[in-house]
Amino acid sequence: MNCPRCDSPKTRVMTKSPVGDVWEVYVCDVCAYSWRSTEDPKVWPTFKLKPEQIPNLDVIPAIAPLDPDVSV
Amino acid sequence: MAKVYKDLREFLATLDQEGQLLRITDEVMPEPSIGAAGRAATRMSNGPAVYFEKIAGYKNPLVTNAHGSWQNHALMMGMDKDTPVKEQFFELNRRWDKYPCDPVIVDRAQASCKENVIESDINLFDVLPLYRINDQDGGFFLSKASVITYDRDEPDNLGKVNVGTYRIQVKDVDTIGIQALPFHDIAIQLAKYERRNEPMPIAVTLGNVPLITFMASTPIAYDQSEYSFAGALQDGVPVEITPADTDPHLLVPATSEVVLEGYIKPRVRTCEGPFGEFPGSYSGARNQCEIKITHITHRTNPIFENLYLGMPWTEIDYLMALNTSVPMFKQLHNEGFPEVTAVNAMYTHGIGTIIAVKPRFGGFAKAAAMRFLSTPHGMAYGKLVILVDDFVDPFNLEQVMWALTTRVLPSKDVNLIHNAAGMPLDPSSYPAGMTTKLIIDATTPVAPEPNPRPVALVADPEGTEEWAKTLAEISAALGK
Ligand SMILES: [Zn+2]
Repeated sequence: MNCPRCDSPKTRVMTKSPVGDVWEVYVCDVCAYSWRSTEDPKVWPTFKLKPEQIPNLDVIPAIAPLDPDVSV
Repeated sequence: MAKVYKDLREFLATLDQEGQLLRITDEVMPEPSIGAAGRAATRMSNGPAVYFEKIAGYKNPLVTNAHGSWQNHALMMGMDKDTPVKEQFFELNRRWDKYPCDPVIVDRAQASCKENVIESDINLFDVLPLYRINDQDGGFFLSKASVITYDRDEPDNLGKVNVGTYRIQVKDVDTIGIQALPFHDIAIQLAKYERRNEPMPIAVTLGNVPLITFMASTPIAYDQSEYSFAGALQDGVPVEITPADTDPHLLVPATSEVVLEGYIKPRVRTCEGPFGEFPGSYSGARNQCEIKITHITHRTNPIFENLYLGMPWTEIDYLMALNTSVPMFKQLHNEGFPEVTAVNAMYTHGIGTIIAVKPRFGGFAKAAAMRFLSTPHGMAYGKLVILVDDFVDPFNLEQVMWALTTRVLPSKDVNLIHNAAGMPLDPSSYPAGMTTKLIIDATTPVAPEPNPRPVALVADPEGTEEWAKTLAEISAALGK
């Protein structure tokens, strides 16, 4: 099943309904879009994302520089 | 002494008694029912809370629109539900001065938020009936959480324990995204951790006493305590807080329905949004912070409290109405403009503001508007400023329209200030963050400004107040 937003095939079941077998929730590992099996997601064209756009989205808040004595 | 609630449940019981809470006993699907009911409730004249007892596939109930009307707002303050907005404004203003009323720290054993603990196999869906609020949201959001963080360099400084409301997207069963805008207190605290590449401890609390939720969405100074303010707004009755299980410096409300504990992953940003926001439009996808949840405590049969937001007015507008108006009033009235008698800064967080003022001389009202537009909040948010005479109730839009229609000569009373600072979330600002300020002076001209056509105002007939009381009593008796 492809992601309704970025069309990536890298989607998976995030969880199933805690009570009964009523629904599942899916998530895209590329863009984090999530939806329930009982929904029929129709992402508007303005909110579609291409996977290559994601690294270029605005970063909020900006990441502060590391202190000089700290390394990652 | 005003009524004070020890937890969300007491508040909901009062709403119920007052006819301000509707119970939905039939099972509903999470989408689109919960968002739609929250939207519909805000359009009712009494704006009741809506309590869903059974949501398909979930264990626990949910309440939405608990703050979503002036009646519920009055009950939040422990006042009569029919209290006019202007009276609520002056009461809030009075209690504001009781700051600080410091919180009481209670033991774990006394804190109802600790009744149940989840330490492994964290799954938010087991506890919270999560749902999509608006159709184009990128996932399921927590819209009414009070988020607790503290200052890394001063962990014991209560004034720097921050309680704020931020939009939160569920990313996985144990992972959530959070929007920390650069001007938010949480972003100041986060930078200190990210400079050290350290995880930042955080607690996300849901279902709190109503004035803690109210204060979490109130803009106050970085070193002021939301908890000490909540106690002040409870008319001097302190709120109870308790240390989180995973970090003793994270002080959480003792009676929260649910407390999610964890940390912000340092130097990580992942795709978040879109989300239908308070100006009534979506804000798009951005790379934002991510929180790992490692520990949950919750009351038995916890109630998930969440709100609908979209085109105003919705529940969120009541959470940033008078708490925006009161600080603006204090900054004008107490700091140079005692002639300002009331401020209504509740249209889209103060983008639209009405100031009641008794002008001392010609041009005075306009000066009060410029003062408002140079306060920190007014500079960023204020765009449309309407000035009315002191005898006009700025919370009564019929009266404000009367002033606009009978007091404004547009050629001299409408003023534009071009190329000024604005609110980026205002989609009319262009480029984002730049706008034109509009000042409309609807006060009666005073000398030396000429008033070539003075009028004699019609006063209320003698006995009007007594008749108002009599008619209200008859009306109340009919309702019983
Ligand atoms: Zn995707």
